[in-house]
Amino acid sequence: MMRVLICLLAVSAMFVSGAIPSAEARTIPPLEGLEALRKGFSGMSDFTADITQEKRLSLMKRSMNMTGTVRFRKPDQFYMAINPPYTSRMVLKDSTIEMAGGPDGKSNRIVLPPEQGLGRWVSKLTSPLTTLPDGVAIQADLSNALYTLIITPQGKGQVKELTISFLADGTIRRLSILERNGDKATMTFKNLRRNIGLTDREFRL
Amino acid sequence: MFIKLLMRFLIIAAPLLLAACSMARPALVYSPGATVDTLSAAVSLSVTTADSGMSGSGFLVYRRPDQLHLVLLSPFGTTMIEIFSNGEQITLLYPGSSTAYVGRIADLPVKGGLQGWRLMRWVMDAAPSDLPGQNGTIERTGSHGVVEKVTFENGLVTAKSTKNGDKVYYSRYTVAGGVPFAAELDLRNSQDDRIRMVLDEPEVNAPLENAAFLPRLEGVKVLPLSQLKGL
Repeated sequence: MMRVLICLLAVSAMFVSGAIPSAEARTIPPLEGLEALRKGFSGMSDFTADITQEKRLSLMKRSMNMTGTVRFRKPDQFYMAINPPYTSRMVLKDSTIEMAGGPDGKSNRIVLPPEQGLGRWVSKLTSPLTTLPDGVAIQADLSNALYTLIITPQGKGQVKELTISFLADGTIRRLSILERNGDKATMTFKNLRRNIGLTDREFRL
Repeated sequence: MFIKLLMRFLIIAAPLLLAACSMARPALVYSPGATVDTLSAAVSLSVTTADSGMSGSGFLVYRRPDQLHLVLLSPFGTTMIEIFSNGEQITLLYPGSSTAYVGRIADLPVKGGLQGWRLMRWVMDAAPSDLPGQNGTIERTGSHGVVEKVTFENGLVTAKSTKNGDKVYYSRYTVAGGVPFAAELDLRNSQDDRIRMVLDEPEVNAPLENAAFLPRLEGVKVLPLSQLKGL
């Protein structure tokens, strides 16, 4: 689970990054889409954005809607806060996750194996992508200024499909996670600001 | 420890609300005799023990008398854990590792001081006062033979306790579907273990499909509860 979270963090960070060339509506090679993201990411040192998050629970026939804030700072810091009534906060510093939430704001601390740390994922983005990642199938298209990537992990893991939509200037529009149990979580980004000089103070619980 | 307490929470939470919902309170307008047969709500919870703690948000559904399904979410909205209980049977499903632990509630590791199913039944034994608008604390022997102190406020039970230190507090009463509803529950035991839960957006007595209480275990590695090492 935590590995999935770290992957999502890295993906989220990539999608709020720098400029991506626009194109006419067309299917594009997956590698082209991924490389565009990587290039944009290379020009970004930090970002903050407001988010809305919807969780659709297939078994329960209900959905939850949340709002909050995310922040990222290279090389390995991530912050996420969800507003009431689902109040929670999460800070990731490389491989250490601290989460707080619930009625009492109780905190949990989880230490991941070093190879699963955020810094390691970010470092992978420093070099151009020449091959697709193993273990996933990727579809990519570009409709005017809107890129859409559909990433399908192979195997029987929790995530069945990850869909990312973002503008040509690198602004992410939406990140959607379809789970194998039919649940779906969709995160929409707004008011995104990049390279604003975030400091350690913005990455505390 | 986490699992033990979380299980206790799961089993106890909905019945706690059920018990609270069956009581009258003059300040609330509700349908006399209305009871909670089903419940679905968003949930925010904290579990605290002497040596650990956890918290989270998610969603639960409950159906009288003893079916419950709780989903706890990760910050990204993905499912971290699903817990199903049906009578004495309990299933913990971890989608991230495609693993489920199945067993009887009685097989949960015993630690933390809460009394599990027996405590839940004690909590459910919270009949409304026969005296309209009753206030104050009385001592009585409950229907399960437990000597307990019960505090009433305007006819509603606001607290219960036993001599062995188990306590439960009901608060934030509202009305949902014509039923008085305690949106906040606070359980404590003699070791100061604490489970606090707040419910939002409750739906009371809405139809629930059977599928909402049945874990999907296709492609999931199913292990006995005894192999559960921690949350």
